[in-house]
Amino acid sequence: MQRIPQSEVGRASHLALHFLGCVVFVVSIFPVAPAQTTDNERPVPILTGNAGYFTTYDNGTNELVPEAIPVLLVPLGDKWLVEARAEFYGGFDSSKGQPYTGEVHKDLDYLQADYIANRYLTVTAGRFLTPFGIYNERLYPIWIRDLNQVPLIFPIESGSSDGVMARGGFPVSSWASLNYATYFSTLTTNATLDAGRVFGTRTGIFFNRPRIEIGSSWRKELMDERHNAYGLHFAWQPPPIPLNLRAEYARSEYGSGYWIEGAYRLSQVSVLNQVMRRTEFVGRMQQYFSGAEKLADEGGKYSLPHGDTQQPDFGLNYYLKDGLKASASYARWLGKHNWNTWTYGIAWRFAMPLGRAGGQ
Amino acid sequence: MKRQFAILAGILILVTALWAAGPKNNEGSASTVIVSNTHDSAEMRLEGEKRFRANCGRCHAAPHKFQPRMMATIVRHMRVRATITDEDMHLVLYYMTQ
Repeated sequence: MQRIPQSEVGRASHLALHFLGCVVFVVSIFPVAPAQTTDNERPVPILTGNAGYFTTYDNGTNELVPEAIPVLLVPLGDKWLVEARAEFYGGFDSSKGQPYTGEVHKDLDYLQADYIANRYLTVTAGRFLTPFGIYNERLYPIWIRDLNQVPLIFPIESGSSDGVMARGGFPVSSWASLNYATYFSTLTTNATLDAGRVFGTRTGIFFNRPRIEIGSSWRKELMDERHNAYGLHFAWQPPPIPLNLRAEYARSEYGSGYWIEGAYRLSQVSVLNQVMRRTEFVGRMQQYFSGAEKLADEGGKYSLPHGDTQQPDFGLNYYLKDGLKASASYARWLGKHNWNTWTYGIAWRFAMPLGRAGGQ
Repeated sequence: MKRQFAILAGILILVTALWAAGPKNNEGSASTVIVSNTHDSAEMRLEGEKRFRANCGRCHAAPHKFQPRMMATIVRHMRVRATITDEDMHLVLYYMTQ
């Protein structure tokens, strides 16, 4: 990361203050809906998250990845939520019969305070997941993602930001609702809270009846070369069939690419329905086109391919019970060199109250 | 300086849009309106289930129901994370706690 002149840092602080001032102004002018909760409905702090264990056989290397991703949710009053997510994961690999070597990593994905100002606006401050596309914010948890391998373009949209964000969702008619997130992040060079100085926004529109969501993202770096990044996302769950279609496109100075994924749950198959309704087939196609600049490989969990690449993926998920999923997948990397990647493992989602949870 | 103006202008446009889309009278939350207008709780549950499938099902398989106070926290978290609307949040909470 390049050094930033002191004057630039000062200007960024001014911008952040302006932004924060405007957010406070926005919050103060909107009416707050009255509280509707009874004691039995009052939110309780929760420790939730997911844990998993995956094995990947990738181009002659066997990798074992145990993961634990706890999420802490602390509601305060009727309008506040403090939430945090940490990520602990190991990467132990062995090639050609050698002993396994590796280490355990830890990340702080987010630590944020959310203030639900009104029906249209939630203000977030702290460290938050960068709202770019849908994968980073919504699909990343291992119990949610349909394929354990993240998309090739994921490093373009991944990461966290440190600053303030305004977001919300509201109906624009009886058949559609709009969602938005706009944010400012300040430069942080601390290893745990690492973030760039960026400004960005994401908007999406969801059509209720056909269950289609389309949206776009934009991010502007306010440092270094002041690059822009753009993204498009699409999701469709056709109501009559248990099919989930999703797609994303992202473009940055490092390159561009897309992925299209379909996941089909066999719940409509009548033969062996007890088994079939827990089974899901997944297919994904993705391509990446290398750009003018190379993203420095800083030893992080994810990195972009070093050249033009395409990769078809196929997967099979079996939902053993609520929150417990076994999965297996195959991918064929087609780039400068070609190889197969096999992954299999198990993911578990947990949730426990940190206080009296109320009866049903 | 130009950038500051651009950001401020953007925020002001957002404020204006939100103001224009805001409630036209002193109504309560969406759920209050729905509860008062919908006497049939079965209908509300049905609507809640529909909203649950439309919003939550976009990303993950339907989880089992949690205890009401846990559900209230989870729904608040999802309101922020998935930017679901206030009305949807209340209906989903109703459905998931019945």
